[in-house]
Amino acid sequence: MRKQFKKAAAAAFAVVLAAGVLAGCGGSSDSGSGAAEGATNITIFNSKMEIQDKLEEKAAQYSEEKGVGVEIYYSSDTVAAHLATRYSSNEPYTISMVDAKDVYALAEEHALDLSDQDWVANTTQAISVNGKVYGFPVCVEARGIIYNADAIKNVTGEDFDPTSIKTTEDFQAICDKLIAGGMASPTGVMKEDWSLAGHFMAEVYEQHDDPDAFIAGIKDGSIKLAEDKKYNEMLDTFDVLRANNYAKDAAISAEREVTEQKLAEGEIAFMFGGNWDWSVINAYDYSENMGMMPVPNNSGDGSNEKMVGGGSKYFFIDNSENTTPEQQQAAKDFLSWLANDPEGQAFVVNDCALVPAFSNNTLDVADPLGKSVKAYADAGALIGNYNYLPDDHYSIVGASMQKYLAGEIDRAGLADEITAYWATAEVGAH
Amino acid sequence: MKRNTMSYKVQLFCMFAGAASVLFLAVVIIPFIYGIYLTLTSWDGIAKTKPFVGLANYVEAFKDVAYWQALGRTAIYSIFAVILINIVAFALAYLVTSGIKGQNFFRAGFFVPNLIGGIVLGYVWKFVFNRAFVAIASAIARGTVPSPLSTTTGAMVCLVLVSVWQFAGYMMLIYVAGFMSVSDALKEAAMIDGCTPAQAMWNVTIPLMRASFVQCIFLSITRCFVIYDVNLSLTKGEPFNTSVMAAMHVYNTAFTYKKYGLGQAEALILFAVCAIVGVTQVYIGKKGEVAA
Repeated sequence: MRKQFKKAAAAAFAVVLAAGVLAGCGGSSDSGSGAAEGATNITIFNSKMEIQDKLEEKAAQYSEEKGVGVEIYYSSDTVAAHLATRYSSNEPYTISMVDAKDVYALAEEHALDLSDQDWVANTTQAISVNGKVYGFPVCVEARGIIYNADAIKNVTGEDFDPTSIKTTEDFQAICDKLIAGGMASPTGVMKEDWSLAGHFMAEVYEQHDDPDAFIAGIKDGSIKLAEDKKYNEMLDTFDVLRANNYAKDAAISAEREVTEQKLAEGEIAFMFGGNWDWSVINAYDYSENMGMMPVPNNSGDGSNEKMVGGGSKYFFIDNSENTTPEQQQAAKDFLSWLANDPEGQAFVVNDCALVPAFSNNTLDVADPLGKSVKAYADAGALIGNYNYLPDDHYSIVGASMQKYLAGEIDRAGLADEITAYWATAEVGAH
Repeated sequence: MKRNTMSYKVQLFCMFAGAASVLFLAVVIIPFIYGIYLTLTSWDGIAKTKPFVGLANYVEAFKDVAYWQALGRTAIYSIFAVILINIVAFALAYLVTSGIKGQNFFRAGFFVPNLIGGIVLGYVWKFVFNRAFVAIASAIARGTVPSPLSTTTGAMVCLVLVSVWQFAGYMMLIYVAGFMSVSDALKEAAMIDGCTPAQAMWNVTIPLMRASFVQCIFLSITRCFVIYDVNLSLTKGEPFNTSVMAAMHVYNTAFTYKKYGLGQAEALILFAVCAIVGVTQVYIGKKGEVAA
């Protein structure tokens, strides 16, 4: 009898231990907020770290007002990798925020058709695949040269007019002027591969009238990259950035934060970047008059008067059986609230400091870089993003660009490496 | 109660090892087998379908130049790191068992780096190399000295240094246990027989500590081969992707480049290499082990 009891106790103890371990595995560090009992609950995956706090706050308020539980999740993991784990455990988010290329990869299998939504007519940035709208643009982001007008004025004594810098020579001239006036190095260059290849080199493709044809030309050898006009013009400008780089002796160990701090505080005047850089710059003691201008170049095709950019980060709604029709409806309501409701619009522009992607959202953008982007977007002076670069493009071509930045290879060598990359790489389906 | 029956043995096993076996099966064995299955598909990591492609991923893995470069780099890194980790750990262990003042404090101190997570450690050392080193070296040289992390060999040297700093303390503990297990009587006997302290160390203490060496070398080899966290936070593969180790390449292939099947196949090759090296080393090490 006694023995039996001991045995049972031991078995029970083992089960408890095992359960404890399993519970430990299942625990998650996701931060949710205010799911309402009984009502429809939706989950939103956020991949824009800088708006996480605002989004959580707003979700709690939205839940209370609309009676729909909204929970916000964030992961610093690669977006696709994170969603993959959620899909394989049959727990997809109702709404997921992903990058444009992910929409093309995921939409047909996982996303709900949003073509009938009323916000579709108010944006040029929504993503459609095979004629169906799947991606809701969260905001507009564009790339160009960020300038610090105060820093320039301090040195030159004149107000800085960004529209006066059109050609590579103009850009060289203002840099020379700044150096003559006492600024040690007028520019900074981010050494990050996503900036060099994903953003700067991508502009070489994007500024061609037909990026698809251009890349196909590199692939089949009909276009010699080293002799390409656009490639050389853009690298001419890159050379000016590189030659005036404050970190040119050790360009590869320049840290992004340091570069942006120098720009914010006016120690340097120019950096290639985008309006997302504001989230870094505003952490420092930034100058009042900053802004963005297109990358100057000598092409004469007008591309030096346009920024490159468009919709950035997209929401899609899950279409699997794990999401009920009620949840899908609640998700659609949430998106149209973001696009159309004055409160939703104010949330995007004022709370999150994003540039809205919808023409009916006319609120003034708060940050100076966003202001520049909005001005160019409103004027129709945006060259669209090329969203179909392969996933390893930024890393592999980025490494080649870093070599060029460090002076380890020359322009012809860079062209060879990029051409070699494209020999095996395939652009995404679209 | 009969103790020789099958059911009794099964019961006994279930009682003591049942829960552990189930868990081991669930979190190691089954995922491992499922992982092998995934190497036979061209899954991208998220699609609903997992198209079966046979051994195509292995063929592609063998053709993936960047992967073999990363693996070669990992091997070179491991050789340097393993040798240095063990020399430093052994020296530290000798130091803190020799009876110096405050040796417990030193033991704790040397072990602490191992308690810091690899990610944090990587960022701390990145700061040291990028800022502190640059500032001090530039002041001494009266010119700008680039960060060691910006050169190809520099980045590798930094990785080795940080790994040694991280693992030496842990291995030191094993060597300390090894030193303690060698009886003083044996050393004394050797000295009485005319050995110098160095000879006693080489001919008596070290052979008796063989088990510690086998263990430490095995642990450091396996840890170095799959290094990822320090690699990510310290160099992130830079400059020019020349410090991408095998594990980082596998992660990038599977998750960033969305070639899950290929990444998984490369991970399996890494596992095989790691297992072969580790097991061979243990086999050779164990063969000559002496019992005191």
